[in-house]
Amino acid sequence: MKQARRAIQAPVAILMALSSTACITSTVQDARTGVTGINEGESVVIMAKSYHLGNETELKYIRCIEDNLGRGKDGLRVIPHGQFVDSLFPWFEPRTAPAETKNLAKLMARPGVADRIAEQGIRYIIWLDGDTERVAGGGSLSCAAGPGGGGCFGFAWWQKDADYDASVWDLQGLESAGTVSADVSGTSFMPALVVPLPFIARTQAKACKTLADQLHAFIVQDETA
Amino acid sequence: MNRSAILGTLLAGLISGCSSNVTLQTPTIPEPLLEQIPISIGLRMPDNFQHFVHEEKVYGRNEWSIDLGRSNAALFEQLFGHMFAGVRILGPDDDPQLLPLDALIEPSIDAFEFSTPEQSNTEAFAVWIRYRLKVYDREGQLVSNWPVSAYGKSQTTTMGGSEALQRAAILAMRDAAALMIMKFDNVTRISSLAEKPATETAPAVEPESEEAADADVQTTALEGTQDEAG
Repeated sequence: MKQARRAIQAPVAILMALSSTACITSTVQDARTGVTGINEGESVVIMAKSYHLGNETELKYIRCIEDNLGRGKDGLRVIPHGQFVDSLFPWFEPRTAPAETKNLAKLMARPGVADRIAEQGIRYIIWLDGDTERVAGGGSLSCAAGPGGGGCFGFAWWQKDADYDASVWDLQGLESAGTVSADVSGTSFMPALVVPLPFIARTQAKACKTLADQLHAFIVQDETA
Repeated sequence: MNRSAILGTLLAGLISGCSSNVTLQTPTIPEPLLEQIPISIGLRMPDNFQHFVHEEKVYGRNEWSIDLGRSNAALFEQLFGHMFAGVRILGPDDDPQLLPLDALIEPSIDAFEFSTPEQSNTEAFAVWIRYRLKVYDREGQLVSNWPVSAYGKSQTTTMGGSEALQRAAILAMRDAAALMIMKFDNVTRISSLAEKPATETAPAVEPESEEAADADVQTTALEGTQDEAG
């Protein structure tokens, strides 16, 4: 029994070790155009640029950024984007949302808009643009099953690129504070010798963590810049 | 369970897997931030607003049945309740000219279309709805005939395609609501019907200044124009 357990534990340990060294490369950069900083009681909201403009940012990526920005004792106060959009209906729908900061003044002049934003203490709107795409892949893997059992043989690999840009709008000055971008590339592979062993690169999760950390630093750490 | 029973179950599963039924829950639109139009309108909705079902066989793929239920009716009742000072829902036997109304609005659905991730080669469902809004004055003259094209898109989730398609449909309805809030009066001039003398009819107008003013929002189509007027 112990031998059987060891026989299972060994490949699992190898798999975990290989997974931890998954092939991921990332680049993060920011371009600041204004002074940032956030006071107690102020909050941020994460939005996706409109799909009317061809943007494909995933809902789960928005939620991931929200979670990461709000996490920990230094976490920012994040207003869930759904709550924000509903509270300002219809002015942040994909069709009506402002596309540029120059439109903010007109938006704030609409009935009730400035009040709703103030009630929620929203200081920054962060607009996400980008998505995660499979950009390459190859290899061959085939599986077969019969009355006596089944198995897979071969090798497959694929590469995903997660490229996201975040534009930070400061609602205090009704201007852009700058942009932060994260470009992450990850290659996953799956060898199979009877049993397939997946080594998955968590490209989107890495892009989320990287961008959220940089956004946090961008907003918080530049009070005196 | 014997072998034939297992095979039967598998076959039934395969057959049901070739058709998808989606039933939309009645949506609730948030209370909009807008300036109410100070007129009383009557809202007369056709039968298919109460139970609209779209059926389509995607070539080489599944058969889809999308039941929008009362969602269209609920959308217009809620939206117009917010947009106008007074709204009266008219039944088929009600005569609007005998009621104290400034205008009558008759919405209908011109077209409903959708695309699946397999068709668009993306991970999203998309829904297009084209409504048609006919506006009549107190004398029953058609003063505006406005096609409203709306679009919603939602990515597939672990909950499956049905949920994503429902969300895309609701987003399309919200899109239509946003467009109507932005441009209804500009396109149809419905507010002018409140104090119009009984012998005149509202002019068929092309949208102008507000159109230009709205150019800075992410409007994408030509829905701001009416294609005919009575």
